[in-house]
Amino acid sequence: MSAAAKTLHPDEKYKAGSLGTKMATFGIGAGVLLLLASYVAGRLADDGLRRFQYGFLTAWMFVLTIAIGSLFFVLIHHLTRARWSTVLRRIAECVSLTFPALAIAGAIGIIMPMWLGNHELYFWDWFGAHKAELHLHNHHLEGKLSWLNPSFFTLRFFFYMAVYSGIAMTFARASRKQDESGDPAISERLRILAGPAMLIFSITTVFVGFDMMMSLAPNWYSTIYSVNMFGGCMIATYAFLSLLTRAIQKSGRLTHSVTVEHYHDMGKLLFGFVFFWAYTAFSQFMLIWYANIPEETVFFRYRWWTDWQTVALLLIICQWAVPYVALLSRWSKRVLPVFMGICVWLLLFHYVDMYWNVMPNMTWGPSHELAKAGGPLTGDLALHQWKFAISDVLSFVGMVALFLGAIGRQLRGNLVPVKDPMLGPSLAFENY
Amino acid sequence: MIDDDDNTPDSDDPEVKAALDKQETKDVAEGPAAALAHDADPAVVVVTAPGHHDDDGDDGDDEDDEVPGELYGVLAEFDSPGALVRAARKVKDAGYTEFDCYSPFPVHGIDEAMGIKRTILPLLVFGGGITGTVGGMFLQWWMNAYDWPWNVGGKPTWSIPANIPIAYETTILLSVLTTFFGMWILNKLPQVWHPFFKLDRFLRASDDGFLLGIEARDKRFDQARTTELLVKAGATGVDPCHLDSDPDRRKLPTFLYGVIVVTTILALIPLALIAKARATKSNKPHYHIFEDMDFQPKAKSDAPFDAFADGRANRGEIAGTVARGSRNDDTAFHYGLQNGQWLTGWPSVPTVQPTPELMKRGQARYDIYCAPCHGFDGQGHGTVPERVKESGGLYAPQNLVDPVKGVVEQPNGQLFNTISNGRNTMLGYAGQIPVADRWAIILYVRALQRSANPGGPR
Repeated sequence: MSAAAKTLHPDEKYKAGSLGTKMATFGIGAGVLLLLASYVAGRLADDGLRRFQYGFLTAWMFVLTIAIGSLFFVLIHHLTRARWSTVLRRIAECVSLTFPALAIAGAIGIIMPMWLGNHELYFWDWFGAHKAELHLHNHHLEGKLSWLNPSFFTLRFFFYMAVYSGIAMTFARASRKQDESGDPAISERLRILAGPAMLIFSITTVFVGFDMMMSLAPNWYSTIYSVNMFGGCMIATYAFLSLLTRAIQKSGRLTHSVTVEHYHDMGKLLFGFVFFWAYTAFSQFMLIWYANIPEETVFFRYRWWTDWQTVALLLIICQWAVPYVALLSRWSKRVLPVFMGICVWLLLFHYVDMYWNVMPNMTWGPSHELAKAGGPLTGDLALHQWKFAISDVLSFVGMVALFLGAIGRQLRGNLVPVKDPMLGPSLAFENY
Repeated sequence: MIDDDDNTPDSDDPEVKAALDKQETKDVAEGPAAALAHDADPAVVVVTAPGHHDDDGDDGDDEDDEVPGELYGVLAEFDSPGALVRAARKVKDAGYTEFDCYSPFPVHGIDEAMGIKRTILPLLVFGGGITGTVGGMFLQWWMNAYDWPWNVGGKPTWSIPANIPIAYETTILLSVLTTFFGMWILNKLPQVWHPFFKLDRFLRASDDGFLLGIEARDKRFDQARTTELLVKAGATGVDPCHLDSDPDRRKLPTFLYGVIVVTTILALIPLALIAKARATKSNKPHYHIFEDMDFQPKAKSDAPFDAFADGRANRGEIAGTVARGSRNDDTAFHYGLQNGQWLTGWPSVPTVQPTPELMKRGQARYDIYCAPCHGFDGQGHGTVPERVKESGGLYAPQNLVDPVKGVVEQPNGQLFNTISNGRNTMLGYAGQIPVADRWAIILYVRALQRSANPGGPR
């Protein structure tokens, strides 16, 4: 087939210029302030910072999943030797370079309290000093303690972040290098690297899901849990990258390179992953529903037969049904204001998804009582009520600001890989 | 192609020659000029008047002496997909509507160049998908909840979660089928015959040729001007295409109508037989297609059998052996019998002596095997009768703890016999519950009776 190719438009502004610096200054400043405000609100709430920590984890998972998805975007681009996504790849690379920043945020907000003696988030760490009680009250958890203990957990946390950062930096740096040399061998090398990197990435992501979110209820387990989380990752990522690219275009940059054709393809993938997310969520639900084993059904019992039913219904309707129908048509993916609306919508509901996964694990009793009872997923249904907390909102907005700031730090130099051999076909890309 | 078969023997030589000629053309030069010079005779840009057709040496499909029929159209070849797209755009811009492009693979952008409207296939597929979802749901509701309610794993007869995978599959199935057949129908496939098929050049449409054919029925068609347009658009060769001069030979041969009618009727026979079988009743036994599988040559135990001297199939126990589980000498323990009477006391076997452990064992076994019908308290209100009652039936298992009648007064041996062999509608549990466990259950039942009737019997 004859591949059409173009060169960068002569008037194209493909340099980041001051954009990144502005984003970094404002984002990091606002983010740190808002997160501090969230902490203060958590202190005032008088629940041992539990709500603050849960809200912080939810917000952190929200941005982490976007970073994970962006890394996947880069890897799959190289792995499949994609052409169309070349103009968007640099932006995804910049997002994936936020892992070190997210590691710092997570270390302060999630790991540090654990070592300062606060067991409110991952209550299993309370058992470290109470082995006898564990044997008496929760022997299911006893066998998991060699995995779920603060030292090993901390080690794994930094290991995951190091793996992600390592892969992201390898690919982003090589890509920047190609901007100068234009050496096609770099693309070839990255394509070969992308295979093993994808394998490591996948395994890491599975365990990130298990450790960071599923272990909030350590007596419960589901092997597909992280796959479902990954589905959410990709929904959030395609929505976020589309919005970020559009925002960069609104600043007058990349106005010629990124066309409606690229958004159309992002929309197709978004459509696919909306269904993938629902597919995995249903797979998890149906096996549990069918087998009807108490230690498995608790997960849905406390997310359906309580206040959380509203949120669960919202997710089914707003994270699957509405966007699925909305994205079905070619029109909605090509009329940018409509498509951007869908992206904002899905991004918000990805937060609700994280919220629905994390928050019901929290009840208002002291952690050691939860631990004895086998975790938050047992006990009185009436405890599982949804309550508004200002700290959640502050954490969410603050974390997003911080994330945008961290992306801003990476947005410098060229916003497209100017000498990538696949740039020409990507610029000329058209959906037939 | 029928003509081909007729002509093959006598047109062998010219065909080979023409093929060689073409091969040479390809090797020596590219482009219209070279093709004109070398390949002029058969194909390129020669607007042949009907009368001169017999000069045409290459065309093995037409009989040499025959006068060609009316002009169907012209077929032009291009050397690349890009050239085809450009030519299609030119032809469209010149105002032609009755033309089509032929290529070995889908060419991007050709639809737009030819001025073809966007296909309605997505809408059809959407309709197919929705039909699949609704139909799949309806199918399951009809079969599982309405026409033949069936309890699967204690779930409601119509339970949406269990139906979603099937509905999902039927959605995909109907979407895919609509896509597949929609493509065929919208593309007017399968097309078993088309006038262009006669041209050698057209064969390359499935190999490496990029072809554009304009039909003579187009109101702008004029053989000379149209050919000129195509050459200007970069054609490497243009062939006129004539219909068969004999109108009869353009039609389907008559015998094929007969074949179609006969095969259609034959295909209906199995359906008719099925319909007949469904509508009629018969008292005859069904056919035995595999007689020796339905009636295997074997001797059932205790049946007469001539091969042995005693005329019996059963050979009895082998001398010096004891069948597994047949040493039940302790009738009290194994059958609940003492001197031919129900055992009123308790077996002397050490493993079933009443202890708290045996009581717990009995409770666990009771809760597993007995409670579903007799209830956890023994009063006969288990989940099974409750469900039967819910669905409008009546099923009343024995009240095991009723002080007035029945089980309270029965001796232990009789209770044991009931558990082992069943009673009334209750089936025996000898296969499920080992002997010692049956005694454990009896112990627990006695405890239930005592707790239900404080100060009463036993």
